[in-house]
Amino acid sequence: MSLRVLNPNAEVLNKSAALHMNINAAKGLQDVLKTNLGPKGTIKMLVGGAGDIKLTKDGNTLLKEMQIQNPTAIMIARTAVAQDDISGDGTTSTVIFIGELMKQSERYIDEGMHPRVLVDGFEIAKRATLQFLEKFKTPVVMGDEPDKEILKMVARTTLRTKLYESLADQLTDIVVNAVLCIRKPEEAIDLFMVELMHMRHKFDVDTRLVEGLVLDHGSRHPDMKRRAENCYILTCNVSLEYDKSEINAGFFYSNAEQREAMVAAERHQVDERVKKIIELKNKVCSGNDNNFVVINQKGIDPPSLDLLARAGIIALRRAKRRNMERLVLACGGEAVNSVDDLTPDCLGWAGLVYEHVLGEEKYTFVENVKNPHSCTILIKGPNDHTIAQIKDAVRDGLRAVKNTIEDEAVVLGAGAFEVAARQYLVNEVKKTVQGRAQLGIEAFADALLVVPKTLAENAGLDTQDVIIALKGEHDRGNIVGLNQHSGDPIDPQMEGIFDNYSVKRQIINSGPVIASQLLLVDEVIRAGRNMRKPT
Amino acid sequence: MREIVSIQVGSFANFVGSHFWNFQDELLGLGSNPESDPVFKNQCLNMDVLYRTGETQQGILTYTPRLVSVDFQGSLGSMSSRGTLYSEGSQAPSDVVTWSGSVSSHASEPHKKNLFLQSLYEEEQESFSMMNGTTRGENDSQREIQDKDIVECLDNGVKFWTDFSKVHYHPQSLYELSGLWTDMQDFDNYGIGRDAFSEGFRGEEMCERLRFFVEDCDHIQGFQFMVDDSGGFSAIAAEFLENIADEYANTPVLLYAVRSPGSYMNLKSQKQTIFRKLHDAVSFSRLASFSKLIVPLGLPFLSESKASTYLRIENDKPYHTSAVYAAALHSTTLPFRMEPVGPIADSFDVSGAVEINDFVQMLAGQARQNTVAILDVAMPAPTLNGKQGEKSLLGNLQPLTPEVAEDAEDFQAVESMVVHGALGSDGHRASISEVKDTVNGIYENAITRPMFCHLSVARCPLPIPLPFPSIFGNFVGQHGELLSTPIVSGSFSRGSIDVHSIPMAVRLRSSSAILPFLENRLVNLRRFGLERGALGSELLRNWGFEKDELYDIGETMSKMVSALNPDLQLSSEDSD
Repeated sequence: MSLRVLNPNAEVLNKSAALHMNINAAKGLQDVLKTNLGPKGTIKMLVGGAGDIKLTKDGNTLLKEMQIQNPTAIMIARTAVAQDDISGDGTTSTVIFIGELMKQSERYIDEGMHPRVLVDGFEIAKRATLQFLEKFKTPVVMGDEPDKEILKMVARTTLRTKLYESLADQLTDIVVNAVLCIRKPEEAIDLFMVELMHMRHKFDVDTRLVEGLVLDHGSRHPDMKRRAENCYILTCNVSLEYDKSEINAGFFYSNAEQREAMVAAERHQVDERVKKIIELKNKVCSGNDNNFVVINQKGIDPPSLDLLARAGIIALRRAKRRNMERLVLACGGEAVNSVDDLTPDCLGWAGLVYEHVLGEEKYTFVENVKNPHSCTILIKGPNDHTIAQIKDAVRDGLRAVKNTIEDEAVVLGAGAFEVAARQYLVNEVKKTVQGRAQLGIEAFADALLVVPKTLAENAGLDTQDVIIALKGEHDRGNIVGLNQHSGDPIDPQMEGIFDNYSVKRQIINSGPVIASQLLLVDEVIRAGRNMRKPT
Repeated sequence: MREIVSIQVGSFANFVGSHFWNFQDELLGLGSNPESDPVFKNQCLNMDVLYRTGETQQGILTYTPRLVSVDFQGSLGSMSSRGTLYSEGSQAPSDVVTWSGSVSSHASEPHKKNLFLQSLYEEEQESFSMMNGTTRGENDSQREIQDKDIVECLDNGVKFWTDFSKVHYHPQSLYELSGLWTDMQDFDNYGIGRDAFSEGFRGEEMCERLRFFVEDCDHIQGFQFMVDDSGGFSAIAAEFLENIADEYANTPVLLYAVRSPGSYMNLKSQKQTIFRKLHDAVSFSRLASFSKLIVPLGLPFLSESKASTYLRIENDKPYHTSAVYAAALHSTTLPFRMEPVGPIADSFDVSGAVEINDFVQMLAGQARQNTVAILDVAMPAPTLNGKQGEKSLLGNLQPLTPEVAEDAEDFQAVESMVVHGALGSDGHRASISEVKDTVNGIYENAITRPMFCHLSVARCPLPIPLPFPSIFGNFVGQHGELLSTPIVSGSFSRGSIDVHSIPMAVRLRSSSAILPFLENRLVNLRRFGLERGALGSELLRNWGFEKDELYDIGETMSKMVSALNPDLQLSSEDSD
């Protein structure tokens, strides 16, 4: 081999060895992830070297936590992670679908078929499946008032695969309401406007939606109120701490008085800014018992806090940048960058502002806001790994709702789509194709069944029985999915099991691409500078 | 008092940081111990500058470094990233409350605690039982042996920086980059780290952690940023710094770019050498652009360098080499937390307090606006006895910054020197005024004098904590005095058991001696990156640098060079 001449250390795997390496890697990855799938899947508890615990049922998280070394597996994992980045879900499905495509191909290749032919079949099957998906999907009309029920069903389907049923159902309402809260007509949904805040406190069922904002810090002055009603909110990005100006920054004073004078002059500027804020407060709060809250992105030093506290103002410093945007969306008003032209129009409004203290952690709740376009999901849990897992689940739930609104369509779940697509491929598409590409279509069609098969397997059911029952129903023209408890066919529409259209489309799109690439590899060359690095 | 928030990014930076915080912890311990040397009790150093007071949910008060540390996943060894202070007590890890279905557990093999960490743990348990009135006494002799074992065990078996850390960290402090594993290969260039910051929620989470500590500060004076700039972490740090510059515009960043001697090795081919040179050039200029003052640290051959004349270091042990840099950094940060008595008057124990902003302005804000400083260290500082001492102090101050001109004459140089714990001629601790007089005397007699030198002096020496490596040569005495005859003992190197504290002198210089460092980077960037048909232009494109961006970088660097050396005109045409 010519490469050997160039680099005697290079390792070369020939055609069949290379192919089997790829197939085995794909199957291996599939094995790891397949127990995750569905509401009967297994949750994984990962314990690190120092005893840190991570709980996950999310394929995406799991792939990131595993130190994957095998190059083929890395390729598959990247595709799956990209899947998550694009559509927020479906990592596990992608991996097991790729694995199954490879597995089905192996059968044919071992019988002497050329991978090229299979790949051609995949391509035809993929296009046909995507067309079929267009017909199969259930359109949902998202007018000004989206159908809340359908959104809830999609969210519930996702959440139930990550959390136990009653918690999932509780979060379903939270997640749907959160997305509807931030949704603006004619604009893309920005999920960042939903703040996820967590407290290590109480139980997971205390997780709730706050229509308003929860900030993870409190006021830094003992005399400021801990609870206030009817509050004007000033959102600002103004430094209220004494900064030495750059030009005067030397320390070349001739005497102590001069230094004091300089400091006093610089201090004066900060005080002026604080006074302007106090003026505004007096303007809007005089003659009523309304309160005034300043939430600043920059710092506020103790002398400024003192002044504000004496004027009865609650002040928070160093607010998150993103919260400045959220505050304005939640409370109204605008974020100001200078105190020079403050008017009452800049102010937002919240019915209630109060502080909650847990040890050194303080939380400020800004609630009862006028017309919230931003909200907070407050996640509670007894320990960090529980919180982290709920957080991941909530993120997936939010994405699912967002996808539904943007897709304006959903797909029947519980394996119904996969069985239907398989039957369509085998019964109709296959006939339109001449020659051996038919086998590729067949492999593809059988690979689709991996989803219901795995669901059944995870539920402890007999996969063959289930598949036969499902296929039979479909041939009779009933679109059915799998009942995870009994193993009987059910109507997903009745049960409210819906998946995201974009997630499904993405899986059908990317799975065969990677599988084809891996199948067409006929030589693996291991050479280069990192070969067998000892570290 | 104005607070400092510390940031450590990258493996070697965390090694240095671990030693650094060990020193602080030792100072805290000695300060509160009634039996310790009075010099430690009146440190006149305000630890609140670096530490924060907190409270756990159980209401127990805590005192932890105001620190954000960023490293690979799995780099914490046996330490939990959340520390132990705030742990919610014993909770059976097996109860999964969020899932009613089956659970499968995948435990990676737990890292064993080494002898040192075990003894720390036991000590903690002991202090609990001490409160119940049990006595100890005869344990002491037993103790002695154990200490020796600990030192030996550390010398042979440090793998993670947590292995020799005796500090409790806040749960927000230690940030692991999820998905970037310790044994990740090829994390050795700028390009690979470029996306690592923004991937997933990493960047946001890091900024969040930092915000937590900044919000806590009443009036922050600056950031002390350590980065291991030998690989991809330099890109992570640059992105992080960019965020910091954006968010905390008026807060100065004092940046230490540290690298271990190991990062200079393993260059087998010419191609790799070019990669490395381009990485150095690009990462330096990116880091420098986001900091008010950058101090490059890290000699390729530390143990053979003049800076370690009295030290016995093994270059391939980051545990050893990081100790030297940590000691030097400890000394440079002293002026930021000296308690000023008044604007002019000096206390008996410290003198020359200065804040980061003033400090940075002094070194970098003068006419030349040179933002790159050289760090010199004398470890341990020589005894100040008469004429001889004067010479040896300047002679012993040797650079830890690489590629520095040795005998550059620069009349516009600005220096800041810190001397602490210096010993007088009779072996006693020199008073503040003695040190001041000596240093002033040195400069008056020196041949080349800087334009300006700021001197900070403290009486408190550098304490040597138990987990400090045995890197002192046998000319170093118990209090860090330099002996004329070597101590004859079994081993050649002396560690924390034999040496209890050392005097230190460090100096930060803004001088034209840094020119070779800058010029090398500029020339390399031009030769390998910018010229037509340059070998590395493809590589830089892969790292995500546009041509224009590179020209800007080159332009900035040539400005830095010409500011220090107005005679030399490095034009881009004839740079080769």
